[in-house]
Amino acid sequence: MSLALEVCRIAEERVGREALSRLKEVGLAVGTDSGIEPDSLEFWLETLLTHPPFAGARLAMEVRHGDDLRVTYLEVEDGGPPD
Amino acid sequence: MAVRRIEVRERVMERNDELAADVRRRLQSHGVPAFNLVSSPGSGKTLLLEKTLQELGRELRMAVVTGDVQTENDAERLARWTDRLVHAVVTGGACHLDARQVGTALADLSLDEVDLLFIENVGNLVCPASWDLGETAKIVVFSVTEGEDKPLKYPKMFRVARYAVLNKVDLLPYVPFDVDKAVAFARQINPELTFFLTSALTGEGMGAWYEFLRTHARARSAF
Repeated sequence: MSLALEVCRIAEERVGREALSRLKEVGLAVGTDSGIEPDSLEFWLETLLTHPPFAGARLAMEVRHGDDLRVTYLEVEDGGPPD
Repeated sequence: MAVRRIEVRERVMERNDELAADVRRRLQSHGVPAFNLVSSPGSGKTLLLEKTLQELGRELRMAVVTGDVQTENDAERLARWTDRLVHAVVTGGACHLDARQVGTALADLSLDEVDLLFIENVGNLVCPASWDLGETAKIVVFSVTEGEDKPLKYPKMFRVARYAVLNKVDLLPYVPFDVDKAVAFARQINPELTFFLTSALTGEGMGAWYEFLRTHARARSAF
């Protein structure tokens, strides 16, 4: 759970607390040797991302070789018209 | 509504690692060796620490930061053996200590008056392996009642530890545990691992453990 909270902290730091409700997707890379159980992290993150200040952001988890655990990208609805 | 993608590529542990680096700088500037004791629950690491405080308490100034999920029981047990700070961190359900908690605990401590710092982590062989606390080394404690394949089941912990304590060796006549196999499994994961075979209860093998700690404390006094 602490890792999931850390992911949320990074999202808040990057987009600002007021924009968290407009967060649409969180990209996360999880290494097979990271010591992290992807299913467990996914469960905690999905739980957190459906509760305020979040409003149901999707989690896009990519399991890779290695020991990495990294937030790769964030997608935010920016309020403007679609490109 | 348009959706904007922000490239991040930030390691999840980055903030913790920065705080751990700060803890490490503080400890090194005072020459304090810090050992992060990690184990599964029930390996005997609190008793190992109690006996260590009891045996070395008159010659070394030892401080302990101890993490527990819900209680301060371990801190209370340890506090009986030292008038030095025993700082309890109740993690409130979290399965490990983090560098911020250790940094906060150190703020209560005069590091000039400490020869050795122990960090007794939460009993868990998974999560604490991922969290750098700024320690000199992780010491993984496991016991002969746990099965000799523990290193294979929790490879990351045995990979990141520099020392291993195999505890409760007084029970070897009563349990089907192959010490050679356990050591071989551990060195298969981490060939550099230094082993201590101990019984904190009977004192067997504790001499080598105490000497190891004295050596590190002497290195501190050379600063």
